[in-house]
Amino acid sequence: MIEVKNLTKKYGIRTAIDDLNFSIKAGEIVGFLGPNGAGKTTTMNIMTGFIAATSGDVTINGLDILAEPERAKANIGYLPDTPPVYGDMRVCEYLNFVADIKGVRKGRKEMLEYVMKQVSISDISRRLIKNLSRGYRQRVGLAQAMVGNPKVIIMDEPTIGLDPKQIIEMRDVVKRLGKKHTVILSSHIMQEVSAVCDRVLIINRGKIVATGTPEGLSEGLQKGSGQMQVRVKGEREQILSALREVSIIKETSAEKGKESGTIDLLLNGGEGVDIREAIFRCMARNNFPILMMKPTELTLEEIFLSLTESDRLGINATLPQPAEIAKPENEGGGEDVSNL
Amino acid sequence: MLAIYKKEMRTYFTHMMGYVFLAFFLLLVGIWFTLLNVRSADGNFHHVLSNVTIFFFILIPILTMRLFSEEARQKTDQLLFTSPLSVGAIVLGKFLAAFSLFLIGVGITVIFPLLLRGYGELPVSQITGAFVGFVLLGAACIAVGVFISVLTDNQIIAAVVTMGAIFVMFLMDAFAARHTSTFVSLVFVLLVIAAVAAVWYNATRKAVIAIAVGVIGLIIASGLYLLNNLIFDGIITRVLLWFSVFARFNVFTRGVLRFSDVIYYLSFSALFIYLTVNVIEKRRWR
Repeated sequence: MIEVKNLTKKYGIRTAIDDLNFSIKAGEIVGFLGPNGAGKTTTMNIMTGFIAATSGDVTINGLDILAEPERAKANIGYLPDTPPVYGDMRVCEYLNFVADIKGVRKGRKEMLEYVMKQVSISDISRRLIKNLSRGYRQRVGLAQAMVGNPKVIIMDEPTIGLDPKQIIEMRDVVKRLGKKHTVILSSHIMQEVSAVCDRVLIINRGKIVATGTPEGLSEGLQKGSGQMQVRVKGEREQILSALREVSIIKETSAEKGKESGTIDLLLNGGEGVDIREAIFRCMARNNFPILMMKPTELTLEEIFLSLTESDRLGINATLPQPAEIAKPENEGGGEDVSNL
Repeated sequence: MLAIYKKEMRTYFTHMMGYVFLAFFLLLVGIWFTLLNVRSADGNFHHVLSNVTIFFFILIPILTMRLFSEEARQKTDQLLFTSPLSVGAIVLGKFLAAFSLFLIGVGITVIFPLLLRGYGELPVSQITGAFVGFVLLGAACIAVGVFISVLTDNQIIAAVVTMGAIFVMFLMDAFAARHTSTFVSLVFVLLVIAAVAAVWYNATRKAVIAIAVGVIGLIIASGLYLLNNLIFDGIITRVLLWFSVFARFNVFTRGVLRFSDVIYYLSFSALFIYLTVNVIEKRRWR
């Protein structure tokens, strides 16, 4: 459905994206993951024909975005990082205008009703957009992208600025969209992307550093990085001497705990080694209550760091895992909101 | 195109802009009508239109200042330029909307000479000619305003620059009338060549070709000057006169409808619409 070949964009001497190559099949939900300034927005702006690349090609449904812009753009619905809405229009007027410029004639009324229902804005259709909250504007922006039933829907940071409830609703909408459309979305939040996407492209400094399915990402989770954060109640010296007996733990560092009478430990058994049971048995033997034990969460930055340092770059690189990647859930709510 | 046109017309009347323009336009016409026609018991309504053109530098920016700058500011240009509409259709829709509002103003103005008709013989051909010229001149100025509004995302800057541009166009006759030496003309031509090279570089980012174009142009111009400097005589006047859109309006007020003048105004407007399309398309150039 979408082919991106050798895409490069330079702003003066700064290279925003550097030789991107990927293809997206019809019906896929693909997430672009990357920190701010990684080139996600630039890539999307090029794919939608808003700006041109310095070199490289984008084809949408077999149509080159530069050679046949009007026909290629007819296949795309785009929600940019700022919802492109007119404050002085009512929601229904705005969507009618969008239907006008997208050339929707037949069955327009039904389509607009359907779209508004999908993002649950039917009840605010008579309100002026400038009086809407950020979350509702975002939904109007998404409704705009859906008008005309385009084959591809591209969303730039669709959940930014939304509250946790709205984020979950937005995820549901994206999943529903994925049944009928090819969906591409970007985010800088790992959980966000892995919760809804079939496939994840991780972009850093304009390059794809890894791609993989969320399942593939979760696999690494079983192994973990081997590092555990543990909070134990008891005397520091006694605990440390008890831990010295456990040979499986390679590194130990300790500091005074946040709760009184406890210490916080950072224990490392090396990559791929599960030390949780050993810690439990050791502490149980010595009668030190474990108040908390959790794998160290890798932040996105740490993933990038290890990805860029590692030799296993490129397609399907195995990722060091952040601890709490939500497994893709089947349908509807039930996500772990505490991650957000 | 129709979608953009409808939206712009709506915006003129949901915002203040449309009313401000019409009010100010009709106020100006009313003032001059009172002074030149009513007070002096004179039927030469074309003088009123002539005097109103002096205020185009205020009237036209009201129409054009927000057309593209506001889209850029609220990022709705991303919607327009990623839609299946062609850039030409978007620009034309906006131009026609501004032009229509201008026509509404002119249409209301037609009432004034009709009022005068009962009091004596009117110079019909001159008044009709003045109306035609007025509309064409308005179209040319609106095209310039549309072009300027695409260059910035700030309405105020767009308005001020448009004011300046139309004001300079208004004064162009005065500049053109000055006779300059052939050497000054040569310097002028060289500056224009350098500017063309700079614009070329800015658009294509190919330094070698831009410098080559510039250097070859400079050599040819200097060579021509050494061979026969009379070629350069009055070249500034000729160039400036091409831009002096207001000078041609006076021909219309004499009741003369020259085909060449009509074509001039239409091509002048078309040129600036074309430039506007190109500025937008430039984002999609390699």
